[in-house]
This record gives sequence, structure tokens and C-alpha cells, in this order.
Amino acid sequence: MALFLLCAVAAMAADLAGKWSGSFKAEGADHDIPQLVILKQHGSTLSGSAGPDASEQYPLENGRVDGNNVSFQVTTGEWKFSYNLTVEKDSLSGNLKLESTAQVRNAKVTLTRVKGQ
Amino acid sequence: MRKLILNIHLAIGIVAGVFVTLLGVTGGILAFEPELDRISHRDISYVKPGGRALSLAEIGNAISQKYPGEGIVAYLPSTNPDFPTRVILSRGIVSINQYTGDVLGVRTRGQSFLGTVRVLHVRLAMGNPGPFILKWSSLATVVSLLSGLYLWWPVKRMRIAGRWWSARFWYDLHSAIGFYSLLPALVLAGTGTVIGFEDHVSRLFDYISPQRPIENDLVLPVAKLEEAPLIGPDQAVAIASAQLPGGVPYRVQMPRYGGLYVVALEYLQRRVAGERNLISLDPATGKVISAHFSSDLSFRVRLLAANGAIHDGSIWGTPSRIVAAIASMLLPLQATSGLLIWLRRKGILHTR
Repeated sequence: MALFLLCAVAAMAADLAGKWSGSFKAEGADHDIPQLVILKQHGSTLSGSAGPDASEQYPLENGRVDGNNVSFQVTTGEWKFSYNLTVEKDSLSGNLKLESTAQVRNAKVTLTRVKGQ
Repeated sequence: MRKLILNIHLAIGIVAGVFVTLLGVTGGILAFEPELDRISHRDISYVKPGGRALSLAEIGNAISQKYPGEGIVAYLPSTNPDFPTRVILSRGIVSINQYTGDVLGVRTRGQSFLGTVRVLHVRLAMGNPGPFILKWSSLATVVSLLSGLYLWWPVKRMRIAGRWWSARFWYDLHSAIGFYSLLPALVLAGTGTVIGFEDHVSRLFDYISPQRPIENDLVLPVAKLEEAPLIGPDQAVAIASAQLPGGVPYRVQMPRYGGLYVVALEYLQRRVAGERNLISLDPATGKVISAHFSSDLSFRVRLLAANGAIHDGSIWGTPSRIVAAIASMLLPLQATSGLLIWLRRKGILHTR
């Protein structure tokens, strides 16, 4: 019975595998920064890559799915991007924290599933 | 006419004075940001030169021993024998003695004092209103300086003759500082205004000199991120350096973090503004995928980079940074003395 429930919960978790595109705008910034996230899901663990476009992708770190909550990190160099998102149908939206060794900035990010992958 | 100019000068001082003061204080600190940053992290910012510098592969091995299983995002090779090589990891930026392989420590990510000073200078540490207020304050400073010159011209006061705290003292101080710091302050405010209105200025520059299209880099498929590169970082640097003889590598992005090796080089002896030489390499074959040199940059990018270098004083090294810092720090004094003159004239403040 417990195994059945566990399987049922796992089955209810959103299938996030695939490409997600969107943008974010850091507070005080002039421009929207494009985003392309390519997710691979293994149960509650996420892997894959993310970056501004297909030609510049960085590996996902600490990717997790907990119900509708999705979190992962990406280190692009001096900056580390920490995503805390909520999944709703074909949309992932939430907060993005950008950290360097000098600054911390926050942004709102929205990603939508790329159709016809 | 003189009365109109005086009113404009006064109005700017009253409305924008506090922001000009903030820009001046923070700008004066930021002129020496690299030095202050090193001093505040002294134990991980300096090495004693001696012997052969380790290769990047050897440095990578030392890092892997200290932090097993952590991928290296990028190497930041030292371009100064007294400074350590740094290595970017997910946990932060590790300083390593390139002569001994000793790991000096890690700079973790987070808000620092200098980071706070920078966000105050750039956006008042707030969202969209911050940059808006500051760019108009910069422009107001330009107008204030020019109107101040107009007002100063008939009097031409260059010395402080008044007694301490007298009305004459503050007037003389305001006039003398205004005269002696006019040129550098005008340059700082002018270049700051260009930075603030960069979008508009960019459109103007592109109209004057249309931007050349940049070919998209050919980048390996994302799947390649999982594979280990076949050439090492030292080979990547050697291949990239051959593309720019005399260039010194200051950043080597590892292929797992972007799909390619990306080597950034600079000329130490002639650090021109906008020095951006980037060579991208296929990590499997060492083939040069793309090479962007600062000489290829568009008129707009080079001019805006030069503008930024003039603004922060880095364009002519330490002397220009000292001038920028002094001129910047004098802006608050100008705003304060101007305010005191106005308060006295209004009868709000009594001086001797």
C-alpha cells in the first residue's frame, strides 16, 4: 500500500523534462535577459543545462522537484543563478537570485515549455 | 540672464544635491575598488613570487585534491606576479598560490561592502527608480557645473579668503573647489551621463557608424557537456595565445560551462579601453571556433568602453584614478557648501 502511494505521488509530480524558454529582468536592470533551460528529470531530481540560448548552456546543479516547487542552480562564471520556481501547467515561474562575490540581485523569471521539441 | 542661471544652479543643488553627494562619495570609493577589495581580503589576495608558476592543469589538480568532485568553471590566471591565480567553482572563487599550489582560501558569493557601494552608485540600491534618478542627477550635475562656471566667471574667485564658517568662507570654498575641480568633475559627470543614457547614446552611435553584424559562434551540442575535453586548459591557452601574439590570458572558461573553451586575453602593456579578445576552441580538437578581437569591436562598443574607462579613471591607470577619486569626493563638498550659502541667504542659517 505504501509503495503504491509512493508510486502515485511520483506519478502526480509534474513531468518537467524538455526545453523551457523565457526571460528574467534583474531589479534595476534595463533589459530582459533571455533564458533557455533544458531539463531532464529522474524522479525528484533534475539535471540538464541552462543559459541565455542554445549556444551557451551551463550544467544544472542541485536540481530538485518537490510537488509544484522546482529549484536548481547554475554557475556561469563569477555569477551563480539560484532558481526557485513553481510549476503550473506549461509554465515555470518564480524567483531568481543572482550572486557574485560582491553583489546579490533578485529577479522574477517566467519560463514556458517549448512546444514541438 | 544671470538671475535665471543662478536659479537653475540653485534648483539643481536643492533637488539633486543629495544624489550628487551620494554619487560623489560612492564614486570616490569605487575609484579604488580593486585595491580596497584586495585589502579587505588580504590573506587570499597576495602571493610571494618565486620559482616556476604552475600550469593550469597542475593548479586544477591541486583544486581537485582540496575540493574533490567539484567542477572547475573557469581559471582566472594571474596577470600580476604578486597576485594569486583564482579558480571559479560553484562554491565560490578559490585563490591559489600559483608558485606552490597552496590553496589560500575561498571567496564565497554574497553582498559585500564594496558591492553595496557599487549598487548605491549605479542604482541607489533599489529597483527601476534608482537608475532613473541617478542618470538625471548626472545630467543635472553637468548643467550645474556649467552654470556654476557662468556664475563664477565675473568674480573669478580662486582662493579662500574668508574666516572659518563666515559667509565669505563658504562662498570662497564653493568657488575655489568649483574652479579647480571643474574639468575632472565635468568629465566624470559627462561620462556618467553617457552611461546613464547608454541606450539613447548607443542608438546615436549606431546611426553615425552602423554596427557590423557579428557571426554567430558555432557551438557544440549541449550533449557534449557530459564529455570530458580532450585537450587540457594549458593547450587551450597555447592555441588561443597563438591567435593574439603578446596577449596574456586572464580567463579560461572550461568547456563544461558553455560547451567550448573560451580564452580571454589582454595586452598588459597597452591596456586600451574595451580590451576584449575572446578565442573559443573546440575542446575535442583544439580547433578555433571563433575569435573576437577588441580591434573588431564596433565604434559604439569601443567608444562606450572608453567612456566607462574614463569615468572610473582606469583609462590612464593610477594617476587618472586618483584624479577621478579626488574630483568625485569634492562633489559632496560642493553640494554642502552650496546648500550652506543658500541657507544663509534665505536667513535659515546664520554664519559669522
